Amino acid sequence: MFLDAGTLQIAGESLDTGWFLYLAAILFVIGAVGVLVRRNPLVILICIELMLNAVNLTLVTFSRQLQNLDGQLFALMALTVAAAEAVVGLGILVDIFRLREVEDVDELSELRG
Amino acid sequence: MNWLPLTILLLPAVGGALLAGRGWRWPRMLTVIVGPGVVWLSFLAVLYGYFTDVNVDQSYWTWIKVGDFTLPFNLILDHLSLFMCLVITGVGGLIVTYAVGYMGHEDDPSYARFFCYMDVFVFSMLLLVLAGSFVFLIVGWAMVGLSSYLLIGFYYWRHSAVVAARKAFVMNVIGDIGMILGTFVIFFQFHAVTYHAVFAAMPKSDSGTLELAAFLFLVGAVAKSAQLPLHTWLPDAMEGPTPVSALIHAATMVTAGVYLIGRLHPLYDVAPYAHHTVAIIGALSALVAATIAIVQTDIKRVLAYSTMSQIGYMFLAVGVGAYAAAFFHLLSHAFFKALLFMSAGNVIHAMDDEQDMRRFGGLWRQLRGTSISFLIGSLALVGVIPLVGFFSKEFILGAVFSNPDPLSIWLWVVGFGTAILTGFYTGRMWWIAFWGKPSSSRPVAAPQEAPAVMLWPVLVLAALTIFGGALQSKTAIGFGTTLVEDYLRPVVGAIAWPANSLDVLLALATMVLALVAFGWAYLMYVPRVERRAAFLDGVAEVAMASPHPWNSRLPWAQTLLEHKYYFDELYDWAFVRPLDRLARWGDRGDRRVIDGSLAGVAGWVRGGGRELGLLESGYFRSYILVFVGGAVVAGLLVLWRASTT
Repeated sequence: MFLDAGTLQIAGESLDTGWFLYLAAILFVIGAVGVLVRRNPLVILICIELMLNAVNLTLVTFSRQLQNLDGQLFALMALTVAAAEAVVGLGILVDIFRLREVEDVDELSELRG
Repeated sequence: MNWLPLTILLLPAVGGALLAGRGWRWPRMLTVIVGPGVVWLSFLAVLYGYFTDVNVDQSYWTWIKVGDFTLPFNLILDHLSLFMCLVITGVGGLIVTYAVGYMGHEDDPSYARFFCYMDVFVFSMLLLVLAGSFVFLIVGWAMVGLSSYLLIGFYYWRHSAVVAARKAFVMNVIGDIGMILGTFVIFFQFHAVTYHAVFAAMPKSDSGTLELAAFLFLVGAVAKSAQLPLHTWLPDAMEGPTPVSALIHAATMVTAGVYLIGRLHPLYDVAPYAHHTVAIIGALSALVAATIAIVQTDIKRVLAYSTMSQIGYMFLAVGVGAYAAAFFHLLSHAFFKALLFMSAGNVIHAMDDEQDMRRFGGLWRQLRGTSISFLIGSLALVGVIPLVGFFSKEFILGAVFSNPDPLSIWLWVVGFGTAILTGFYTGRMWWIAFWGKPSSSRPVAAPQEAPAVMLWPVLVLAALTIFGGALQSKTAIGFGTTLVEDYLRPVVGAIAWPANSLDVLLALATMVLALVAFGWAYLMYVPRVERRAAFLDGVAEVAMASPHPWNSRLPWAQTLLEHKYYFDELYDWAFVRPLDRLARWGDRGDRRVIDGSLAGVAGWVRGGGRELGLLESGYFRSYILVFVGGAVVAGLLVLWRASTT
């Protein structure tokens, strides 16, 4: 283990917290790279959701480890906001799609200096 | 609370406001009723005050209250201001009525504009004389300057009128500055600005501060009354319509300086240097203006210089302390000079707006009523018994002659010489314009007499000029009435020295000599009518290149007088051109340094913005890359901090 973050209890078993954090970090990096390299706006949105959920996973993990419900509450909050954000984002995408057939976000580059 | 002063003051203001707001879309009939009507109503209010012998200093409200200093808005209606109000609204009413006819050929908006300005002027002038404190005196003082500016520039499409208006305004503002500084000095000395408080605290003897204040007020008086050396605006002010010249630049506004010194006589009585300066300026202005008037060819300019000369007499009188004489001459001058201007206006009207009197000639037979009025005015100006001008001018000269001050005898000599010159230039004007054969270049061969609305005010003033002398005859001829002196005595005091027994004799001698000069002008100018006509046809240019016989012997004097002693040239050289250069230099500085630096900063910002704008590629991924990169760096920084602590 590179990271000694302590342990947490699930169903009577004791697990290293580090695993959860590695998983979250990997998910976050996948999401970030996806946002960076993909061109399709829908995929970019999905990748953003992935990053959000990676963060949610760390929140829940620490909540479990510290026996404190604040983290879980915050994760629920983030989910709600993410849902709203997805609605708005998809709405904007649909609207843009109605105006012009966009498959590539690079085509939306009018706002430049 | 006595509402009479406020009523007198506000009636013309109401008229002016009505005409300013709605006048241009009123039918002309309503303008004609409202314009002169409010002045006449004001005159009736003044008459009511005269017959009920009102004498009040009424505070209406508090204008400023700072600490223990209070400035009330108060109006004084004592014998002096009542006297001035009688002149302003009485003569003013006649002149505004006359203007109904004179301005008749203006189009409707200009017609209403004229009466609006006239009413505003009457209001300002009434404020000037009714004001009970230095502050409101200055307000009235500046507002008459404004009305004068507006009316001189009434024909705003004429370049010369606009230039003349600007000149008058600038000259008057020099005077306004003197007034304001004088008021500051008074305030520092007495910590009060109402006449009542200041004069009550006036010390009995001189102090340098009071001399300073008196000199500063003298600057204001000199500028407003067109005395040396701030007189150059008055002849140019003749660009305004003739009723304006009659009302503002002869009868009322230009006499404000005389009123000022009369009103502030407690100050001048304890400031002998300033007081003597008033008399000297008056005498010199009278002489200088009379000499310039000899060579003028524009009939209104001759009258303008004679106005300056007569106001010089008034300054002479207030300067030696003969206040009643000055105010009687003010009244008399208002009568006969308004008469002269309005008769001249009738002539100009009949002559298709021609003002060069060499092109009139022989009007005596064709414009009989106007000619008689003009002759009466001229003889009053010369000072011929029994016209009012004789009594008032000889009152002044007699008072100056009998004054025990050693300076006075010299001032009297100047005044005496000026009286003879007055006879000469008035004679020249009269003989050239009205006598002899009609000039061959006359614009109208058979002129029409003016309509009744323009003739009646003239005749009323002619009657006043004839019979006005009955008000105050004792001082000039040794017996009769002293009504003006008695009326003004409560305010300006009696003349402090006894009359000299030679006064009456000298008065008659002055009159005879002035009449001789009047007749001499006949010999000098009338036989040359034929030559004049030839000159104007351009046939015998050599003969008429010197139309004045005395000029063949004194060509330098002719040149000097035609250039009005080079005052305009001097001011042009000393003030106008240097200031013009300074303004040009400042303009360049403004354009290059101020505008340049601002434009430089703006250009720098614009360029920087353009360069920075290149960072905005518009590509979503590049923004995200920066964002993620930033987040990574921030995260690494946090980790680094955590690992080192």
